[in-house]
Amino acid sequence: MKKLITSVLLLTNLYAYEKGDIISENMAAHLGCTDNKIYVIDFFASWCGSCKKEIPLISKANTQIDSSKVQIIGIDVDKDVNKGISFQNTLKAENKLNFKVINDPANLIISEFNPVGMPTLYYIKDRKVLSIITGAVDNIDEVILNDIKEMK
Amino acid sequence: MIKTIAILSITLFFSGCIKDVKPWEKETLAKHTMQQDGINPIQKQFEEHIYFSKEASKGGNGVAGGGCGCN
Repeated sequence: MKKLITSVLLLTNLYAYEKGDIISENMAAHLGCTDNKIYVIDFFASWCGSCKKEIPLISKANTQIDSSKVQIIGIDVDKDVNKGISFQNTLKAENKLNFKVINDPANLIISEFNPVGMPTLYYIKDRKVLSIITGAVDNIDEVILNDIKEMK
Repeated sequence: MIKTIAILSITLFFSGCIKDVKPWEKETLAKHTMQQDGINPIQKQFEEHIYFSKEASKGGNGVAGGGCGCN
């Protein structure tokens, strides 16, 4: 019954992943979140000012985490994939982006997560949403490192 | 009963006209040209400068709080 309600809500685009929810197997496979690492999923776009500020800090946090236990994945939701890639390349050239990025020009990934704002960070382990950070946060690198420490 | 069905039908019919803009669909809204001050923020500052000097006051021209967290 719960699966049926979830399917109906997913179809009607009203469903959003909340803390404690289990992401679908297809989505986990698509993101590459299949093992028992903690995955930090960051939704961003080239036109999002707060995302631009946060990405270098998230990259900074990425240099300080144990990659065997934690992985950061960015989801670029730019509808124009070339614009998104160009934005990523600019950041990479300035050493401000050092984590894996998946382009989502059709917005299929973000539509399933359905966050209420941008940028949004999801912590996922064993397909379970452990925590969500919505909107711009000061010193997001320290926040991520502290959150991960508490989750281990 | 017929009234209730009619009201519900009309409500459902017009609710189809409402489409919320999702946070990831706000690219156009995030552009400078979509800001209230327009394409040139200096123009807004100039107008405010004249307004405040004429009124001999300062502030009270905006609203606090809110923010979509996208920019």
